[in-house]
Amino acid sequence: MQSPGWPRFLTTSLHRNLALMTLVFLALHIVTAVVDPFTNLGWVSAIVPFSSYYRTFWLGLGTIAAELVAAIVVTSLLRGLIGHAAWRVIHWLTYASWPIGVVHGLGTGTDAWSAWFFALTCACVAAVGFAVVYRLVAGPRDPLAEPRASFRSGVERKPEP
Amino acid sequence: MSRLRLLAGPDLSLGAERLHAQVERLGPLPVAGAALIDTLEASGLAGRGGASFPVARKWRSLAHHSGGAVVVANGAEGEPQSLKDRVLMSTRPHLVLDGALLAARALKASQIVLYVGEEHRAAWTAMAGALAERPEPELHRARLVAAPHRYVAGESSAAVHLLDAAIASPTTKPPEPHAAGVGGAPTLVQNVETLAHIALIARHGAGWFRSAGRRGGAGTVLITVAGAVPSPGVVEIEAGTTVREVLELAGGTDPAARAVLIGGYFGSWVDFATALELPLEAAALREHGLGLGCGVVGVISSRGCGVCETARIIRYLAGESSAQCGPCFFGLRALADACGRIAERGSNPDDLARLNRWARDVRGRGACRHPDGAVMFLQSALQTFAPEFSSHPAHWRAHATGRGVA
Repeated sequence: MQSPGWPRFLTTSLHRNLALMTLVFLALHIVTAVVDPFTNLGWVSAIVPFSSYYRTFWLGLGTIAAELVAAIVVTSLLRGLIGHAAWRVIHWLTYASWPIGVVHGLGTGTDAWSAWFFALTCACVAAVGFAVVYRLVAGPRDPLAEPRASFRSGVERKPEP
Repeated sequence: MSRLRLLAGPDLSLGAERLHAQVERLGPLPVAGAALIDTLEASGLAGRGGASFPVARKWRSLAHHSGGAVVVANGAEGEPQSLKDRVLMSTRPHLVLDGALLAARALKASQIVLYVGEEHRAAWTAMAGALAERPEPELHRARLVAAPHRYVAGESSAAVHLLDAAIASPTTKPPEPHAAGVGGAPTLVQNVETLAHIALIARHGAGWFRSAGRRGGAGTVLITVAGAVPSPGVVEIEAGTTVREVLELAGGTDPAARAVLIGGYFGSWVDFATALELPLEAAALREHGLGLGCGVVGVISSRGCGVCETARIIRYLAGESSAQCGPCFFGLRALADACGRIAERGSNPDDLARLNRWARDVRGRGACRHPDGAVMFLQSALQTFAPEFSSHPAHWRAHATGRGVA
């Protein structure tokens, strides 16, 4: 994705802003679920997985997914402190968090099996599935690989034997 | 030419001062161990590579290791407008070696590396010749290593990366070089001018160092005056000397000059009238949101074009990205494209808005400070040359004259 009005680096900004927006909705979801007097979940079940009396397993999955997201957010904020390699490894946890969240939604979502919500879930899973398969088939494509290699060849100085 | 302390002594055209001549002039290298760190703290000496970081604080962060530290004398000088490091190395190499040796002894380092820009031929020859003259065993084992001719090669982690993996590109921090640098050992990467000051402070003391300096500045500074002045080159001034006084040393000021670039390509453009009264001293400049950087003062005349010159420099900086971080590589390129369109085809509101918006988006998004430095430079240009940016004709003047003005 790039053009004179949309240079490539803005795509990474889009990635960050979309992620921040989902955080807002996730926070809304957790807070409203906890304060809802109907289920009376309590804050402990939002923090300790599988501690809820109510749909213990399915809710626990949601807690785990949210905590993985929290780890990703915290390490992103502390990236300068923990180093790039550690940050990157933890960022891959997104791939664990998302499917766990989807299963959590199917297992305990109030509207999980209503037509509109199920269709939405299927569409999301199909989109992510397609992206993952595409990535596996096409292989990782690093747009910086070529310029990086050319820069490196310019600053490489093998010591003389 | 003004030559107060570092450049005092025989005429610079005579080339490198020999060891016996320096010993005759300044006395032998004094014995100074870890106590030198206190002296440096009292002197208030700050690094002269660009970041103006307090030297004593940097040394203390290395002082408590278990041995085997590395001292890198940084003479890469990749800044295109700067000449002061190569002038110093090619005329007073023994001051640099003295400073490196004092650092190695104070920090109990086991290795000294002289990291010299490969295209600085005279500096290279002078440093190699000076090394051969020295009797100290630490300097016998010292390595003279070529810094590739690229802007980022002088960044401290790039120097460490070259020594470790033969590639002079910056690496992500942490770890900082002072924590784990060359071969994992704590590493001091210190600019050669800073080391030369240390050689004199060890001889004459902190009080002597501070006896030079005006308007709150301490010691002397090497400044490279570039651009539209009668005699560009390196001058040594008391810290705190104003830009006006420095330009007078370089042959006088052109009252019609447009602006001054202070601190080099990671520095800032300042309107000429404002710049004249600025004291060249890190703390005072910080109050104005500026930095001394590597000590470049570049003048653009009334006939030069700030927009075209800025477009040329930002294009250069974009090309100097090591392409490790997307926002730096793609962001600087996009900024250079937008700035180039204004320079080449004339001002337009779309590109102006993009420059302002993207400059904010790129800042702080790289493993090193390369994108930040480039963007701060661009933002200073947008501010100082605001009238030119909003009404720029399609002329691309820097290209037409074939060379930069600042």
